[in-house]
Amino acid sequence: MKHLPKYLRQRWRYLAVTAETWPDATVERGEFQRHLWYAAQNLLGDAGSAEVDLSVVRFETGAAGFEAIVRTRRGESDRARAVLACLDGVAGDPVGLRVAGVSGTVRACEEKYMRGGPEGIEQSHVAFEGRERTAETRGERVDVRVDDAFVGAATLDI
Amino acid sequence: MYEAVHARPDGDSTAARLALTAGEYGYDGVVLRNHGDALPEYDREAIVEKYGVDVVDGVEVRAEDPSRASGFVGNHRADRTVVAVHGGTVSMNRFAVEQPPVDVLAHPMTGDGDVNHVMAKAAAENSVHVEFAFGRVLRADGGVRVQAIRDLRKLREIVAAYDVPYVVSADATSHLQLRAPRELLAIGEVLGFDAEQVRTGLAAWGDIAERNRDRTGEEYIEPGVRREDR
Repeated sequence: MKHLPKYLRQRWRYLAVTAETWPDATVERGEFQRHLWYAAQNLLGDAGSAEVDLSVVRFETGAAGFEAIVRTRRGESDRARAVLACLDGVAGDPVGLRVAGVSGTVRACEEKYMRGGPEGIEQSHVAFEGRERTAETRGERVDVRVDDAFVGAATLDI
Repeated sequence: MYEAVHARPDGDSTAARLALTAGEYGYDGVVLRNHGDALPEYDREAIVEKYGVDVVDGVEVRAEDPSRASGFVGNHRADRTVVAVHGGTVSMNRFAVEQPPVDVLAHPMTGDGDVNHVMAKAAAENSVHVEFAFGRVLRADGGVRVQAIRDLRKLREIVAAYDVPYVVSADATSHLQLRAPRELLAIGEVLGFDAEQVRTGLAAWGDIAERNRDRTGEEYIEPGVRREDR
């Protein structure tokens, strides 16, 4: 089929999303996309969901988190942002995500907002709350294993 | 803009981690609103210096009945900057809005809680801030979430009618539950708030902290009267 003339084509906005998870979680692109659609449908309904028309165009897993670029229709960035805010978990793993920025092209979005390459993660033993425990450290962030779960801490707590 | 959070042992992250994440998200500070029976241990000066994010010492008084709550409010008022009351029943909501020493009535619409025009007037008179709790909108689904959204609408209409002071919070219990101010603004707009309301609600935490710090300062004597060294 012949493609549409330029003035009739859909214009898009690209949202750079950065997300944190606990270190033992692995979020996959397909799952993220699926939960994003669910979140949109739950918040905005079928009609609203079709209007924001969210799709994941880039996805990169990092250490204890991921980065993604999510596409939405131009003029719908705010509602897309609201949907992303409501995404509290992917396949049972809690995620803390935020929109780092919005661009008109994928390339601008990547260049401006993606940190590029996953942050290094380091495993070590730390003293936390009076006991020696295993921890995963990324820069200032320290996720300490306490009993069977993680506690979010920072280098100041160690 | 400030956000109010539950730190460990009330939540899953330490005060330092919450402050670090809040700073990255663009907040100026966090209010630690741990429940009175699970207060956090932290070094405020160290966090403020290292992450450049203000940390406000707060408490959320949780009690079964108003008479016990009244004692807790009295105990905490002297040494905490922000005193909130864990709302969610009609009797606790009424108690909180009638107490001038209380700064915030937290999540008044959860559970069996409700707010009416009488309570709204009392809250405005005693300048008790009523909380718009976004937690259930962000993290629940199905019927619970529908109710939460409906409750927020009702509360918004009452608050607007009587000019009641208010705060907005995502009520995070870990750094993963924090959401950036712009995200809360966006969700607020979907729910029918205007962006300015949400911004005011987030800033209000900081205003309360500033006012109370000023009041506990040495120069302060009573509203409008302060000592000046010459």
